Amino acid sequence: MTRTSPVAVAAVAEPEATSRAAVPAQGGRSSPFLLMPITLFFLLLGFAVLRSPNLITNAGIGSAIIVATPLVLATYALMAVVIAGRGTVDLSVGPLIGFINVTMIQLHGADIINNPFAVIGYALLVGILYQFIFALIVIYVRVQPIIVSLCGYLSLSGINLVILPRPGGMAPEWMASWGLGTTIFSPVLLILVLATLAWILFTQTAFYTHLRLMGSDERAAYTSGVPITAVRIGAHLISGCFAALASITFTALISSGDPSQGTTYTLIAVTALVLGGASLAGGRGNVFGSLLGAVNLYLITFSLSTFSFGAVQSFVTNLAYGTILVISLLLTLIIPVIQRWLRNFSPLLYFVALSVVALGVILHAATDRVPAPASSTAPATVHAQKLAPIDPAKLYVGPLEVSAPDASEAKLQQAATPIVLSVLMLASIAIFLRIAVTFSSRRSVAPAVALVVAALVLLGAFMMRHAQDVGLSPVPVHEGIKR
Amino acid sequence: MSAESLQLSLPARIIGLIAGIILTAIGVIYGLVQGASVQIVILAGIATLAAFVWGWQFVLGQFAREGERAGDEPSEIRQVWLRFRAPLILLAAILLLFLLLSLTIDGFFNVWNVISLLILLAILVITRTLSRQFQENRSAFIGVMVLSGLFSVGAMKIDGFSSTSNIKSMLLFASFLGIASVGQTLVALLGGLDLSIPFIIGAANVGLLYLIGLGVPPWLATIIVLFVGTLFGVINGFLSYRLQGQALIVTLGTGFAISGGVQILTSIGTAYSGNVFGTVPPWLTNLSAMDGTTFGLPFPPTIAIWGLIALFLVVSMRVTLYGRHLYALGVNRTSSKRILISELRYWVMMYAISGFFSAMTGGLLLGWSGGGFIGVGDQYLFLTLAAVVVGGTSLLGGEGGYGFTVIGVLVLQVLSSFLIGIGLDFQWQEFIFGLLILPMVALYARSPHIRTQI
Repeated sequence: MTRTSPVAVAAVAEPEATSRAAVPAQGGRSSPFLLMPITLFFLLLGFAVLRSPNLITNAGIGSAIIVATPLVLATYALMAVVIAGRGTVDLSVGPLIGFINVTMIQLHGADIINNPFAVIGYALLVGILYQFIFALIVIYVRVQPIIVSLCGYLSLSGINLVILPRPGGMAPEWMASWGLGTTIFSPVLLILVLATLAWILFTQTAFYTHLRLMGSDERAAYTSGVPITAVRIGAHLISGCFAALASITFTALISSGDPSQGTTYTLIAVTALVLGGASLAGGRGNVFGSLLGAVNLYLITFSLSTFSFGAVQSFVTNLAYGTILVISLLLTLIIPVIQRWLRNFSPLLYFVALSVVALGVILHAATDRVPAPASSTAPATVHAQKLAPIDPAKLYVGPLEVSAPDASEAKLQQAATPIVLSVLMLASIAIFLRIAVTFSSRRSVAPAVALVVAALVLLGAFMMRHAQDVGLSPVPVHEGIKR
Repeated sequence: MSAESLQLSLPARIIGLIAGIILTAIGVIYGLVQGASVQIVILAGIATLAAFVWGWQFVLGQFAREGERAGDEPSEIRQVWLRFRAPLILLAAILLLFLLLSLTIDGFFNVWNVISLLILLAILVITRTLSRQFQENRSAFIGVMVLSGLFSVGAMKIDGFSSTSNIKSMLLFASFLGIASVGQTLVALLGGLDLSIPFIIGAANVGLLYLIGLGVPPWLATIIVLFVGTLFGVINGFLSYRLQGQALIVTLGTGFAISGGVQILTSIGTAYSGNVFGTVPPWLTNLSAMDGTTFGLPFPPTIAIWGLIALFLVVSMRVTLYGRHLYALGVNRTSSKRILISELRYWVMMYAISGFFSAMTGGLLLGWSGGGFIGVGDQYLFLTLAAVVVGGTSLLGGEGGYGFTVIGVLVLQVLSSFLIGIGLDFQWQEFIFGLLILPMVALYARSPHIRTQI
C-alpha cells in the first residue's frame, strides 16, 4: 500500500544524482532544500533583531533557547518517523509529550520519582514504549500509520485530561531552575546540543542509509535486502527518545503539568518539519533544516509579539504561520529549477555568507540605535495581552522603525551608506566567486574564499561601528552613538 | 455458508446447550440476587441462551468445515488454534477485561452488563463469520453491526436512549458531522486529505454573523460565505495538486491562514477576540435548532438536508461519469490520465466541494448555537477523518464512498451518546474513540504484506 509519490522519489534521488554526475570529486550530500529554511531564518532573525534588540542579549538568547528547544526536539521526533515513509506523520507526538509531562508531574507529586535519573529514565521509557507499540501495530496489524497516529492522538489527549484535568502541579525543583532562561548556558542547551549531535552521528550510520532508502521506496529496500521491520522499529524508537527529551524540556519550560498544551505541539511540529525542508512523503529530512524550521517558527512568534496587536495577537500569528508555510511549500517547487544552474549548493557556505550579513544587522541594531521604550520591554514569549481596540496606524505603518532617527543618526546613516553598499557588493562578489569555484571544480579554494569574504565583511561591519576611529567617516560623529 | 457446515456432531451440540444453560443460570441467579424484576430476568435469560447457542453453532460450524477440508493434518486442536488464533486471543482478552472490571468496580457485575457483554460477543462472532460473505462492502456490514449492537446496548442500559428527542438530537449532531465529512470523503477518494475543514467551519461561523451584523441581508450573507468557502476550497485544491503528497500540511497551512485572517477581519475594532455577537435570523435558527420544524414536521431541517445530500452523493457517485472518474483517479492516476481524465480538475473540484460544505456546516452551527465562535469547528479536525476511516473509505483513495461515511458518522455519534449516557466525560470519550477506531479499521482496512506487492 505504500504508494510513494513519484515526485517525492524523484526529488530525493535528484540532488545526489546531479551532484555526483556534475562534480565527482565533491562527494558530499548537497541539500538544496536547505535553501529555504536558511533564507527564512536570516530574514526573520534580522527582522526580529531590528524590532527588538533584546533578543541578542544574554537573557534574550537564553529564553529563546528555553522556549524553542521543546519544539526543536518534537520536530526531531517527528522527523525520525517521517523519513521512514508510508506517510508516517506522527500526529500523536504532541499528546505523547503531554502524556509524559502530566504523568511525570503526577508521579513527582506522589513522591515516587524525584531524582534526575529516575525522571529522565521514566520519560525515555514511556516514549520508547509508546513508539515501540506504534511500530508493532504498523508492522503487524498493517493499518496505515496515519490512522494509528490519529488513534494515539485521540486516546492520549483524552487520557491526559483524565490524569491532570487542568494545568497545575509542580516540576521537580532541580528542573524548575532550568526554565528561567536568564543565561545562554543552561542544561536545556546541553540537551539540545547533545540531541543534535546524536542525530548527526546517527546520519553517519548504515542504519540511516537504510532508513532513507526505505522511506523513498519501501519495495526497493525490501528487495535489496534491507531488514525493513528492524529499520522501522528503530526509527520509532529513536522518535520515542526525542519525544521524551522534548517532554523533559517542555516540563522545564512550564515548570508544571499542562494536559492540553502538548496537543498544539503536533501541528506546530509538523509545520516546523515542513518549513525545514523535509518531505512528508518520506525519505527526505535534515537535522539542520528541522532545527532551523523550529527556530523560524519561534522567531515568527517572537517578531509578531513585538507588535501590540492586542486582542488579535494569536490570530496574526496563525495567519503568519499559515501564509509562510504555504509560500515556503510553493517555493520548494522551484528548487529543481534552481538545481539546474546551481549544481553544488553548499548549505554551509550559504549559511556563513548570510550569517555575516545578519551579524552586521545585529551589530547595527544592538549598538547604533537607541531602543525605543516600547520594544525594550518586549516580552520574550507570547502571553495574553489585554483586550483593546487596535490602532489602525500601528497596524499598517512602520513595522521596521524602532524609533524615529534624529539629526545625528541621519548623518550617521549618510556616512554609513557607502560602507553598507560596499559590504553588499562584497557579499555578491563572494557569491559569484563561489559559483565560479563550483564550476571550476577546484574545491580547495572554497573555504579560503569564504574566509576572506567573511573577514572583509566583518571589517566592514567594524568600520560601520567605529567609523571615526578608522578615520574614514567624512562627518564627525559624536553623541549619536551610545556606549 | 452451506447448511451442512452447520451440522454439528451430537456431543458438540449437547456441550453447547449445557454451557449455555449454565451461563443462563448464573445470569438468572445474579439477577434475582440483585433484585431485578422477574420478567426482566426471564427475558435476559432467554436472550443469553439464544445468543450463546447461536454463537456456538456459528463458531463450531466454521470449525467443523475447516476440519473436514483438511483431514489428516497433525492435530485438529492445533489447526483450529492456527486458523482462529487472532479471534480466540481477542475473545480471551475481552473476557479477561470484563473479569478485571468486575473485580475492580463495585456493582459492575450485574445482569445488564453481562447481557451487554453477551451482545458484544455475539456481534463479534456474527461479524467474524458473516463478513466473509460481504467481500465488497465488508466495512459497511461491520459498521451496521456495530451500530445496531451499540444502539441495543444503549437502549437497554440508558434511560431515554431510544426516546424520540434523544434520537433527534443524535441525528442533528450526526448531520453536522456528516455534512462536514462530505468533503473529507471526496478528497480521501482521490488520495488527499483536507485538514482545513475545521478552520473553514469556524471562519464561516464567525464570518456569517459578522456580515449579518454589518447589515448585509442574511440570504446574501449566506451566499457570500458559501462562495468564499468554495473559493478557499479551490485554492486548497490547486495547492494540494501542485504539492503532491503534502496535502496534509498544505491544507493545515491554508486553514491557519484562513482562520487567522477572518478573525483579524472580524475583530478589528472590537474588544472580543474569537467571538462575534449578533442576532441570528429566525429561519437560520429554525434550520438547525432542536425544536426546528421542516414544513410542519417536528424535526430540524438540517437532518433532511443531510439526508438529501447523502442520497444525492451516493446515487451520483454510482451513476454519473463524475463519480466513476473520481474512483478511477483514486485507484490509478496514471491510467486515468491516459483516458483523458483531468487530474487537476478533479482535485480542484473535490476540494471546492469540501470548502462549500465546510462553510455550510459553519452556517448551520451558527443557527444551532446562536453566536459566532471561531473554535466551533475545532473538534471536527480529526473527527471528520475518524468518520471517514471508521466508515471504511481508504485514505489512499479509490475505495469507499459517502454511504460508508454516513455509517461511520452514525457509529461515532451513537458511541458518543452512549458514552455520555453512561456518565463519561469528554476526555474519556476521546480516549475510548481513539482506542476503538484502531480495531474497527483493523477489521477491514489492512494493507497487504510488502512481499505481495513486488
